[in-house]
Amino acid sequence: MHHRHRAGVVHPRRAALAVALAVAVAASGCDLLTTEAPDPGEVFDGPVDGLTAAELAAFVRGDREFGRPFAPSEGLGPIFNNVSCAACHSADGRGRIENALTRFSIGLDPALELGGPQIQDKAIPGAEAERLPAGVQVSVRLPPPVFGVGLIEAIPEATILALTDSLDTDGDGISGRPNWVTPPDFVPADEPGGGPEPRLGRFSRKAQVASILHQVAGAYHQDMGITSDFLPVENRNPLASRATEAADRVADPEIPAGTVRAVVNYVRLLAPPAPGADSPPRRQGAALFGSLGCARCHVPVLQTGPNPVAALANQPVRLYSDLLLHDMGDGLADNRPDGSASGSEWRTAPLWGLRLMRRFLNGDAFLLHDGRARSIEEAILLHGGEAQTARDGFAALGPDARAAVLDFVGSR
Amino acid sequence: MVRLRRAVPALALLAAGLAARGAAQDTTRAPRPFVEGGVFDKPYLSRLLGRTAIGGYAEAHARWERADGATEEAGFLLRRWNIFTATQVSDFVRIAAELEFEEGGEEITVEYAAIDVGIHPALTVRAGMLLSPLGRFNLSHDSPRNEFTDRPLVSTELLGVALSEPGLGVLGLVGLGGATRLTYELYAVNGFDDGLISDAAEGTRVALGRRNVEDNNSSPALVGRAAWSPRVGYEVGVSSHHGAYNVYRSEGVAVDERRDLTIWVVDAEARVAGVRVVGEAAAATIDVPPGLRGIYASRQRGLYVEALRPFGRAWVRTMPGSFFAAGARLDVVDFDADIPGDVVRRVTVGLNFRPTQDTVLKLNFVRGRTTDRFNNPSDQAGLLFSVATYF
Repeated sequence: MHHRHRAGVVHPRRAALAVALAVAVAASGCDLLTTEAPDPGEVFDGPVDGLTAAELAAFVRGDREFGRPFAPSEGLGPIFNNVSCAACHSADGRGRIENALTRFSIGLDPALELGGPQIQDKAIPGAEAERLPAGVQVSVRLPPPVFGVGLIEAIPEATILALTDSLDTDGDGISGRPNWVTPPDFVPADEPGGGPEPRLGRFSRKAQVASILHQVAGAYHQDMGITSDFLPVENRNPLASRATEAADRVADPEIPAGTVRAVVNYVRLLAPPAPGADSPPRRQGAALFGSLGCARCHVPVLQTGPNPVAALANQPVRLYSDLLLHDMGDGLADNRPDGSASGSEWRTAPLWGLRLMRRFLNGDAFLLHDGRARSIEEAILLHGGEAQTARDGFAALGPDARAAVLDFVGSR
Repeated sequence: MVRLRRAVPALALLAAGLAARGAAQDTTRAPRPFVEGGVFDKPYLSRLLGRTAIGGYAEAHARWERADGATEEAGFLLRRWNIFTATQVSDFVRIAAELEFEEGGEEITVEYAAIDVGIHPALTVRAGMLLSPLGRFNLSHDSPRNEFTDRPLVSTELLGVALSEPGLGVLGLVGLGGATRLTYELYAVNGFDDGLISDAAEGTRVALGRRNVEDNNSSPALVGRAAWSPRVGYEVGVSSHHGAYNVYRSEGVAVDERRDLTIWVVDAEARVAGVRVVGEAAAATIDVPPGLRGIYASRQRGLYVEALRPFGRAWVRTMPGSFFAAGARLDVVDFDADIPGDVVRRVTVGLNFRPTQDTVLKLNFVRGRTTDRFNNPSDQAGLLFSVATYF
């Protein structure tokens, strides 16, 4: 005999069964229910191994500041490019083409009177965004990954300088030249890459930055319009059609030195992601990478020296770069000198993290200094200048060998 | 004997109060409110027989929330403690107010304080601090009435619930034969202010433009809702809010371009096979200053749909009026409809126990995913327990 339950009434046994089932599901799939931490080797924003508890606490504080967006009422602008560090560096990796910055100058003159050296194409209400003036040299720059910069900083100058061959004395067509940079006054001598004397540039697309502090304080100032104790004067549009001084009502400096230093410390301690698993085709790709001459600039491993942070000291740095300037030919030239780098010279781009690039760019790839290459193969084929021979060698490979090289590079 | 003479009227009053309360719970006999759970549909109103009634509700949470494998919050919260008053000033005039203490008193606001002058059922004039008729949820958002611990995301993040604004306007009810009726509310209000941009660090956030208590731009906005209901438990409503949010004129001088915010909301309620289904969908269009385009969204949208099934009435023998309810809700908010990311999605499942209609214990499990502007995902989960009651 069938009987229907009254609407709105459920039998107690059925309810108990449902609860028991729910508890069983909860117990069996705890990670699903409570979320899962990403694998440390599969992210761009993990700390280097072996940090002390105090270093990890500082890392967490810096992580918060790196991700903190600024509202106009908190000091954003008056002119700026984006609202936070994380808004340009996707998951602490590279940015998308939409986040690319436009740098300009007139020769070595940063063209301050025209709003140089960078276009701030956003403005808070009451201010006026900058537009590119005529008659200047322009360079579009994709935000680079920020992981691993502490390891790069920890590589002794002598290690990098040992790779230079400015006059190509070995006749292999590849020179490799340092960019000697005069640090800004606010970078003290006891800061790596600081002091009154020219220092080896190792950061940014043309190695035109010698210290992480310079890079971070400059990014707050130029990219976000956030003044700090290091750069306390607001960046304004000198070509604005009307007075815009009143737009940003937050007193300067808008953040203290401690905030900038927290972010410096954070990026210093960011680990590069682990490379992909080894395999026979990958080993073949690695061998071809070497025999084609790619590894002459994309040096697979450099070694850090002594460092106040024990976890950064005496470590192998598998970045695939010599951190030196190379002439990359007319095709990639921006014709805009930067420090001692010429308009066609670029720092060898590290290849670490390419394995995860698309994961954090919504499935896309943006390579080379301006993101013009949408795949590793396209990026290789756009190489010229000192890399022409290696590029031609790659182009001449058969499909399997090409695939092996691409698989190897894409697994870094 | 003297004591007895005093006690008799008191008992009579109590009995009358209880009878009135019982009648209020019987939906087949109680007069149907303008908005179920709205300003004049609170349980305390039936308890006092005098001219002024005082009541309120309180809400306390225990929260355990995680994101990407790490605990973000594990603690307790007195989320709200609100006081209502309502006074029937005369046959035609009434006034109601709600004072809200949030987060243990960190934020105290007059959420509602308005005078109604009733001219005809189809025409009442209302003025004061109004609950904006922007979606059904804003008009009926008391925690003891809601079935989930957290309010719908589209309501809090996109519509700014609880959205109250100083304003003036009219409301009314038109019978369409049988139980079918049409209700409307239409007000001129102060509208949102430019906090939705200037205080927003993560792109446009409409909710940050509310609380425009002293009109920033001397340019009223319009907000209104019309709802059609064929019978109790079934309703479809359409509402909109439109107006300038920025200061574009100062002392008669144009100082900026006028920038408007327009929001549309469709809400619906129905009962299907003993399951109450409620939902809202909202879309906002924002005129963003040219210097902020590409970072601050000019189009946002969101929705929630929830289903609730009561069961187990009087399972707890000592509480004959008690019952349980199981429910689920889907929340989606797209903070920038022009890019793939900047989206929040959340599913909540819940089990509630109501010892009486006015008190609820809620146990919710929440699983959600947010994406940043690069469309990178971040997963959230939470176990929320809350108690809310009218008093």
